[in-house]
Amino acid sequence: MSSIRRWLLVWLLVGAAVAIAGAAVATYLRARDEANALFDYQLSQMAASLIDAPFAAVPPDAPALGPGADALIVQIWDRNGVQLFLSQPRRELPQHAQLGFTTVATDSGEWRVFSTLAEGQVVQIAQPMSARRELAASMALRTIVPLLAALPFLALIAWVTIARGLSPLDRVADAVARRSPTVLEPLSETGLPSEVRPLVHALNGLLERLDHALLAQRSFIADAAHELRTPLTAVHLQAQLAERATTEAERSTALVELKGGLERATRLSEQLLALAREEPGVSERTPATVDLGATARAVVADLAPLAAAKSIDLGLNGAPGVTVRGDADALATLVSNLVDNAVRYTPSGGRVDVVVASEGDSALLAVRDNGLGIALEDRERVFDRFYRGSAAHTAGAARGSGLGLAIVKRIAERHAATVELGPGLHGEGLGVTVRFPR
Amino acid sequence: MRVLLAEDDPMIGASVRHGLTQDGFTVDWVNDGRAAETALSERVHDALVLDLGLPRKSGLDLLSAMRRRGDARPVLILTARDAIADRVAGLDAGADDYVVKPFDLGELAARLRALLRRGAGRAEPIVSYGRIQFNPSIREVRVEGKAVQLSARELALLEALLARPGAILSRGQLEDKLYGWSDPVESNAVEVHIHALRRKLGADLIRNIRGVGWMLAKRDSAAP
Repeated sequence: MSSIRRWLLVWLLVGAAVAIAGAAVATYLRARDEANALFDYQLSQMAASLIDAPFAAVPPDAPALGPGADALIVQIWDRNGVQLFLSQPRRELPQHAQLGFTTVATDSGEWRVFSTLAEGQVVQIAQPMSARRELAASMALRTIVPLLAALPFLALIAWVTIARGLSPLDRVADAVARRSPTVLEPLSETGLPSEVRPLVHALNGLLERLDHALLAQRSFIADAAHELRTPLTAVHLQAQLAERATTEAERSTALVELKGGLERATRLSEQLLALAREEPGVSERTPATVDLGATARAVVADLAPLAAAKSIDLGLNGAPGVTVRGDADALATLVSNLVDNAVRYTPSGGRVDVVVASEGDSALLAVRDNGLGIALEDRERVFDRFYRGSAAHTAGAARGSGLGLAIVKRIAERHAATVELGPGLHGEGLGVTVRFPR
Repeated sequence: MRVLLAEDDPMIGASVRHGLTQDGFTVDWVNDGRAAETALSERVHDALVLDLGLPRKSGLDLLSAMRRRGDARPVLILTARDAIADRVAGLDAGADDYVVKPFDLGELAARLRALLRRGAGRAEPIVSYGRIQFNPSIREVRVEGKAVQLSARELALLEALLARPGAILSRGQLEDKLYGWSDPVESNAVEVHIHALRRKLGADLIRNIRGVGWMLAKRDSAAP
């Protein structure tokens, strides 16, 4: 598992180490330059002081100078090129050096050589470059040692600070863990660092949407259970009447009624299923081109027997070639619900017209009847599920599920269509017009 | 006993009416609150079976209005199992009893009988009057312990007279107990049924007050 804390710590330490190394290099280079300048000055001063000294030619077996003197080599010649002095007989330096400063490579490393000519003598002083480098290195080392010593302390501070900086995340995690489907109140956004706040804000948005969805779900289930109870109570009573029947005729009447009750309960559960299927996000079938006229024709053919049983004149006036993009099954459900409603709430002897047409840019489906209509004050609410208009309570009208128009609205919304309620045939009854954009 | 049923669901309403009729009640059925109010104002019903979820005027409103008017007739409400708050509100608004949907027709009838009995100030389930014992739950009449077969209409007449012993009931009042709105009222039916009752239970049980109506004879005079 990746850890922000570990990651930050590692990179902080790597960064610090690189910075310290850089400082060491810089210190070393500067110290070396300064040592060069200083030692060069020293060499020239020393050479100047040696010029006045009387020298004689050195015997070949002259003893070496004291220990440590190998740091410097001094050679002196007279004007004839006779060597007057050599501090380190075993050292090899160029016999005839250029005057001024030179750097000479020998078997024993690089040497810095200063030669000067004065009063007929050549004085040459050489010093190994390694001495200067060692000095510079030791200076660089002295600079970085305290920094290196501070590194663990730095790591500790970083570790603690990062933990403190990240502690709001722990608090948020705690608060989120305490949320449950029943407790979805938003998380507190006060006192949060600006880095964490967008996350909590987004989480709160999600919680709110989740809460809405759960609420809708719960109320749908409660409504559904409540609505199922009525047909089930009816079935329960009808079954008791069938049980009580003493004659064959009574029993068969009771059974016919029982069957009616079962059909109604079945229809309600089918409608509930249809509505659940239209919940956003449930059905994402790929849209196809649907012939609205053909769909309406199939629905009218299906419902013709029902209309005929009520002596209702059900007809279709469909223009050919009116198509919409959408879900064929859902569109059939939409048309079927509208026509079924119209037939249900139109008294016998009435008339129901289904119209399919093109109108400008849109495809139009209209179902018009001369039935009971919907009172103006009910028109807003009839799209709510389980709401039944006052006409639906009129004695004799077969009771619907209260879901038909809710389903129509959902399907229409999914197809970006508008549903409009208006007057039906010859100014009476109800006309429902669905406009699909194309 | 004539009962007003206020229930908006056509299937439930039809079944309850059917079941209660089988149990000897005369049932009138309305399917909204305002129709129920109109029916109650006729004052012909002995009890009200009320669904709380009525359209146009809710069952609760109807019930409280009824009690405010001083109408003390027994009211039995039909409620849902989970709607305890509704049930409590219904009882507080003046309901006398409730049954929970889905309910049993037999239980509904038994509770209605109990309500009517208590409404008449009796605790005994069996109505005794002189030599006559009437058991409303099984619709049985005994004279000196011997069961007597009565038709449904005869029973309804007897029940109406037993409910208010000593009171004179007019032909109209008796017809109200016998016929629901949908039943055709037969002419002379009351006389015919009274005649049958006298024949089966004894001629001195029911007295005719000419031009006014009928009443039960005094207990002692009904004795042998």
